[in-house]
Amino acid sequence: MEMIATTCVYCGCGCGLYLHVEDGRVVGASPSPAHPMSRGRLCVKGWLAHDFVHHPDRLKFPLIRRGERMVRGSWEEALSLTAKRLKEIKEDSGPDALAVLTSAKGTNEENYLLAKLARAALKTNNVDHVARLCHAPSVAGLGASLGSGAMTNPIRSLLSADAILVTGSNTTEQHPLIAAHILEAQSRGATLIVADPRKTQIAMLADVHLEPRLGSDVAWINGILNLIIERGLADEDFIKERTEGFSALRESVSKYTPEVVERVSGISAHYLERAAVAFGEAPRAAVVYAMGTTQHSNGTDNVLALANLVLATGNVGREGTGINPLRGHQNVQGACDMGALPAVYSGYAKVEDRAAREKMAAAWGTDLPSGPGLTAVEIMEAAEEGRIRGIYISGENPMMSYPDREGVKRALESLEFLAVAEIFPTETTALANVVFPVASFAEKDGTFTSTERRVQRVRRAVLPPGEARSEWEVAADLMRRLGIDADYSSAEEVMEEIASVTPSYGGISYQRLGISGLHWPCPDTNHPGTEILHRDAFPIGRARFFPVEQPELDFDPDYPLLLTTGRSLFHFHTGTMTRRVHLLDRERPGPTVDINPEDAKALGVRRGQMVVVESAEHKLEIEADVTEEVPRGTVFIPFHFQEAPANLLTVKNLDPKSKIPDFKRTHVRIRRAD
Amino acid sequence: MKPLFLDPDNLVPLLEELAETLEVVAPIRVEGEPVFATWRGEPLALDADNPLNSPVEFFLPQKEVLFKYVQYSGRYTFSEDPPKSRLILGMRPCDLQAIKVLDEIFGRELPDHPYVSKRRSTIIVVKNCTDPGEECFCASMGSGPAAEDGYDLLLTDVGPGYLVESGSPAGMFILRAHSCHFQEALPEHLKEKERLLDLAEEEIRKRMPALTPEEIRQAIEETDWEEAEKRCLRCGGCSLVCPVCHCFSVLDQGVPDGERLRCRDSCTFSGFSRMTSGANPRASLGERLRHWYLDKFVYIPEKTGMLGCVGCGRCSRVCLSDVDRWSLLREAIE
Amino acid sequence: MRKDSKSCSYVPLQAEVIDIDVESSNTYLISLRPTDEEDETVRLAYSPGQFLMVSVFGLGECPISIASSPTRDPLQICVREAGKITQGIMASRVGDVLGIRGPFGNGFPVEKMMERNVVITGGGSGFATLRSLISYIADHREKFQDVTVAYGARTSQDLYFTSEYGSWQAAGIEVGITVDMMDASWKGNVGLVTSLLADLNPSPGTAALCGPPMMINAVAKDLVRRGFLEPDIYISLERHMKCGVGKCEHCTMGPYHVCTEGPIFSYDVVGDLL
Repeated sequence: MEMIATTCVYCGCGCGLYLHVEDGRVVGASPSPAHPMSRGRLCVKGWLAHDFVHHPDRLKFPLIRRGERMVRGSWEEALSLTAKRLKEIKEDSGPDALAVLTSAKGTNEENYLLAKLARAALKTNNVDHVARLCHAPSVAGLGASLGSGAMTNPIRSLLSADAILVTGSNTTEQHPLIAAHILEAQSRGATLIVADPRKTQIAMLADVHLEPRLGSDVAWINGILNLIIERGLADEDFIKERTEGFSALRESVSKYTPEVVERVSGISAHYLERAAVAFGEAPRAAVVYAMGTTQHSNGTDNVLALANLVLATGNVGREGTGINPLRGHQNVQGACDMGALPAVYSGYAKVEDRAAREKMAAAWGTDLPSGPGLTAVEIMEAAEEGRIRGIYISGENPMMSYPDREGVKRALESLEFLAVAEIFPTETTALANVVFPVASFAEKDGTFTSTERRVQRVRRAVLPPGEARSEWEVAADLMRRLGIDADYSSAEEVMEEIASVTPSYGGISYQRLGISGLHWPCPDTNHPGTEILHRDAFPIGRARFFPVEQPELDFDPDYPLLLTTGRSLFHFHTGTMTRRVHLLDRERPGPTVDINPEDAKALGVRRGQMVVVESAEHKLEIEADVTEEVPRGTVFIPFHFQEAPANLLTVKNLDPKSKIPDFKRTHVRIRRAD
Repeated sequence: MKPLFLDPDNLVPLLEELAETLEVVAPIRVEGEPVFATWRGEPLALDADNPLNSPVEFFLPQKEVLFKYVQYSGRYTFSEDPPKSRLILGMRPCDLQAIKVLDEIFGRELPDHPYVSKRRSTIIVVKNCTDPGEECFCASMGSGPAAEDGYDLLLTDVGPGYLVESGSPAGMFILRAHSCHFQEALPEHLKEKERLLDLAEEEIRKRMPALTPEEIRQAIEETDWEEAEKRCLRCGGCSLVCPVCHCFSVLDQGVPDGERLRCRDSCTFSGFSRMTSGANPRASLGERLRHWYLDKFVYIPEKTGMLGCVGCGRCSRVCLSDVDRWSLLREAIE
Repeated sequence: MRKDSKSCSYVPLQAEVIDIDVESSNTYLISLRPTDEEDETVRLAYSPGQFLMVSVFGLGECPISIASSPTRDPLQICVREAGKITQGIMASRVGDVLGIRGPFGNGFPVEKMMERNVVITGGGSGFATLRSLISYIADHREKFQDVTVAYGARTSQDLYFTSEYGSWQAAGIEVGITVDMMDASWKGNVGLVTSLLADLNPSPGTAALCGPPMMINAVAKDLVRRGFLEPDIYISLERHMKCGVGKCEHCTMGPYHVCTEGPIFSYDVVGDLL
């Protein structure tokens, strides 16, 4: 039996684990004790990370559409057809009739090559991925206020915090290893403040649990900041030396008195004050946030409000502090770093910046498009309208994960050409013209970058099934067929190129990536990596305060309940992998809608009954679970289950600053199904 | 048979010879950590801490094929793979004790063929623990730091090399067949073994005293399982890593031809005891954690005469929170 | 029943479906015959109350009580649709093959019930287990004293083995049937099994129970009130099972494995655990 050291495929914690291999099959997994963050621990998904790899449903052969049916084809057929169709569409309708959606589950090397395929080969900047649906506001918000959109401190740093504010994060279920750090910090004396409308496990363990109304985050965050300023707990020195724009901010938040905050958010003055004092008085305080903060039509403003809070209290650039967006997928951070985004190259250099563009053009040996491309949801809209005619999708399942499922279906069905690279058949591969079977994390070499900017190795443990290939090989092959120089003999060589054009990855090489990986920025081969950002300076010089206002919360009397979506500990996103893992599937076999007991009573609904959840446009039937975990007026549906896909009901309602959809707040009504 | 002495320089040549007919499994380092894996000439990590992956995995894998089924004309043929001939080097007394418990459970009544056949085809070379790990509490559970019996060969690092004792005909056969690597043991080797093991035992007992069954039962009664439920992060790691835990699930993959697989399971999962009707005899996590403790410290001893915990400390190492056995027991005792 | 009963290799015997009787809309009585001739001679070596692990290859394996008596041919199981494996079993047709392992479990202690009164009472799908005992007693009627069957189902459409009640009565067994809910076609008793027992008024002796936990609790307490002793009341329990041989630990109930130390337990042992 062999033990292959690698990195977990599920979430952004980036735990180290061993895959156990016997006779060419992965038969087990166990934690890596030497990993500096996970230290010999895993969550339940990590312990079972091996289980989906050899599932019989794995795609083994390329599939090509012939009318209604998908027929097995050869790689040559699939690749040449794809290259031909993409080229034709480009020549007929221009490069911007094409788009590439990359995979936040793919490696850095794959994301880099797919972005290169879009820009260098297809000449379009229409490249994006699911970060659009999760942390686009972090990239936009923190990018503007701090100069960098990434988690400022390593996970380990939480252990030295004196106060931790966790908001919009169901941490014990989504990022269990980070929750373990937070709870350990609490047991060492840190005050844990959790803001969540739902009574999640971490909320129940908190010292202070704030229960804001959905969509009222700017109000209570500004309210806390206002109290902190009033009490003289702001860090005057830090503000003076390292920031700009404070006076406008101070005036702006002064409107958010405890009375105003209570009226808008429902949080009492008493709890608001407790939270403000705990956070403000702490020598070292950290903010941890996730989808509950970002997935709103004002998601970027929510992030800016949190950034204002940490800047005003001087909680940036030191151990035990920081603003920490928790990235969902194990490599969504990497996908962003690699420039799989419409407006930036790898390392976040802007495509509109002529110098940056010329540098990349020189490196890639071809001219590059200059205007920023469309974002993910905009790409779907453009496809529906016929402006985009061909898309290459890598390891993504927009049919399940994007808002407005029916719109996505229309969009994908109206395309003239859709190629999808996947490991399992999904609702999205069902609509493709070409399906490429690709390698899972256990079957390829590469790197992942975790939420704490730790670049780590993922190593091949077994061969891919059937004729499946590593996707970086597929991307390189397509590029060559489209006339771009893309001759790599290994994933390692791709990383060498990445390092040569991406300053923050300049010192990253496979040789240097041992068990601890390297935190970027790591500009050269002697640099040890950067654990804590912004210690001495911000990339933009001084950090900026951005005053933000709480918008009016709209209510619909015909659809009086608010649907919020989220995840379960046992499943990962659209369930492609986890629903095929016996033990995980058994823990959470199907979808339920969480309804508060008082709402349930008013509706005449009991646990276990089927109900219909309706939005203005769509409805779905789902089993009811009656629980105190959701407050009155709010219902919760996890988005993993295709038999009751929560995103059938969610609407786009994009945040104008980051184009993230409003997943967390949809107007619905419920009635019994019978 | 008289004890022998193995010079450390002879260990690798001995293993190379053994590897000609057996798969040798030994602790080696992968990314800096000792793990039990197939030895292919790598440097050995015998002196490191007990690897986190227990060698019990070679008898009860995390996932194994029970049999393959092939359908033809409505009838099936089945095939099972024969077990591999293996030698496990460097198993510690705690893991050996776990195997003794599993031998009882898997060997009684209708013996479990996949387990038993692997037992029969594996030679176990135990290494006594003279340098216990931080989380170890084998002495309190009566399972170490020294092994008394049940091994094929027993090694103790006595300084200049290993004292080697045989515990079975298979062990004796190896000593005879590869006798050129061994010398006679001297009296000071035997004395040193006793001295080192006494020291190790003393050190472990300082951390956690030996507990009587009554004390453990009481500790379980007094533990607030609802509190534990609030803090448990439901990873299942404690039972997946435990060398005595052996719960498994069986599932088929593949239609019409495929495999019936057996995979490790954990009674801490809610679906573990849930029936198809939806009824669940152990519906709350607190109940399930309590059951896991009772099973280790009350039910298994009643059935086998041995404790269901060998004090290896692995549950403590993998717990995301602080609800592992060692922590809860210590808390209850104090 | 295993060829090699010295160890359990989890490889099942194959058994052909030779007949299917529809007992209700979601329950079939399936007759089986092992395909391997050698096993013909051992197939009858089971006792009432034991169970088989039944496989549908590709879907999995689950525990099903043996519904026939060892005194009669053929081997029968009674399957109610509950999950994907039972669905798969019910989708099989005559001539298809299922896998079987067993017999497992301890069965009813029929020797202890001999020369004594026997009350057999159950509800719902658990009654299939009791049929094995009823058929056995009918075939050895002289060895038992008064024998009473009290069986309740939700509606008349849910009653199993309706064609056999006459033969039980003919064998000298008193048979009482009741349903929870009346419907036009039903002319018999309506009410719970406990009120049926009140009508039948059986004299104390031994009892065999199988049904939903709430029903079992109520009936067991009622029998005790009537003078039955707790150790003489035998209850057939069910649990989620994967191996059937006491290894996988899914079926544990306190210190007991329901698959090996059960599924039949006496009320004094499991009363608290119910």
